[in-house]
Amino acid sequence: MFAFFLTVLNPSQSLHKEFEREAIPHSDILYNYALRMTGNADDARDLLQETFLKAFRFWDKYEKGTNVRAWLFRIMKNTYINVYRKAVKEPDTVDYNDIQNFYNVIRESSADANDLQEKLFGHLLDDDVTKALEALPEEFRTVVILCDIEGLTYEEIAEFVECPVGTVRSRLHRGRKLLYANLFEYAKKRGFVGKD
Amino acid sequence: MDCREFQELITEAVDRRLNTPITNHFNAHAQACPLCRNDFERERITKAVLHSKVQHQSIPSSVSTSLLAAVENLRPSARSWRTMIFGEANLNPAVALVAILFVVVGVASLLQTNNAVPLANNRNIITQSLNNYSAAMTGTLKPTLISHDPDAVKNFLAKDTPFEVSVAALSDCDWCGGVLSEIDGVRLVHVVYKIGGEGLLYVYQVDMSEALRGNKIGLPEKAKASLAKTGWYFEQTPDLCNVVLWRHKNTLCAAVSKIGKDKMIALLSEKDQ
Repeated sequence: MFAFFLTVLNPSQSLHKEFEREAIPHSDILYNYALRMTGNADDARDLLQETFLKAFRFWDKYEKGTNVRAWLFRIMKNTYINVYRKAVKEPDTVDYNDIQNFYNVIRESSADANDLQEKLFGHLLDDDVTKALEALPEEFRTVVILCDIEGLTYEEIAEFVECPVGTVRSRLHRGRKLLYANLFEYAKKRGFVGKD
Repeated sequence: MDCREFQELITEAVDRRLNTPITNHFNAHAQACPLCRNDFERERITKAVLHSKVQHQSIPSSVSTSLLAAVENLRPSARSWRTMIFGEANLNPAVALVAILFVVVGVASLLQTNNAVPLANNRNIITQSLNNYSAAMTGTLKPTLISHDPDAVKNFLAKDTPFEVSVAALSDCDWCGGVLSEIDGVRLVHVVYKIGGEGLLYVYQVDMSEALRGNKIGLPEKAKASLAKTGWYFEQTPDLCNVVLWRHKNTLCAAVSKIGKDKMIALLSEKDQ
């Protein structure tokens, strides 16, 4: 009853409190996504802050009861596309068609796949793996981050990126293939695998 | 299952989304076809490497604090610093003077130290507390640890602190944070509470005997007298900041907030942890 009077007497205050309760708890996963997309902590912090300020501004447009995390994520993704992707020089990304040829060649190799992780990638630096991830085209990078680092389901990712589950699966498949190729290049540079 | 069907299922197999009958068919094909098996292994390994080498990083407390402060500043009742200083200056020159003095002291202290807690030149504990409250509101004073659990903050602050630290489980408290600092070798504890719908409550804590001795930091005589007589001291600044001083065991606590006096005293009267 008291809360009702508070809402009636001061709707803006109530809106603010509701925003803090509903939206702020998702700052952790959004910060991580921002970190992986921008590649540095300062830009991630700014992107996160900008996302939440925009979200608050449009809080009355948020449809109550729907997935607030997905809504926040879409705001962050659009902010990233509109602001940060233009401002920040992205690492060179890899074209999927080029990789497909590489993948067809390596597919014919008779290497024992169970040894690959240890032989090729096990000694890679965390930084190498991060850079390999950052080199993925954005649409692939997003689904790989959300699935393999954040552990979201295909259905959640589909809601986040507003596409069918089948598209999420396809992007994941292609994204992981590209990532494998990138990791393979880093393993070659580090001398963990022959140059040929 | 043929190779084409197998290829379409690789990603879901890696993510363990296939049901048992399909998994059985999938595994049977993998056993029979080395090329398809390698494709599956490569995708599985890629996911595993990524998962092990690039882990989820928790949001740093400084980022969390600045985000909360930024959102807090959007609160409709929150006035901008320009309004706080210049808006009221038109009405009351004395208020403007006090506000400008606060800004000057705050800037001077920021220039003097890299400490996360801006330290004032003024040895008056009340002035220091008011400055620190302003710093907490603007996000300059950044808690090293923020938690929903007052015990976690208390344990962090109590380590190597020579007096009893007080971090209370306050009603309607969304989170609390703590940071340590020193002024002329005197240990200070700073606790910030986010009270839902009300704003911030800042509490400054120092060894009581140090405050009473007055060598490095001190209290106005009227505050000392009130503390000795009633155990409490209250004052309100011209810009409606409430300051409450009280004794907690061997610790002097000074709380500052703009939440109402009655509510503030009611909160502070709750049992300390």
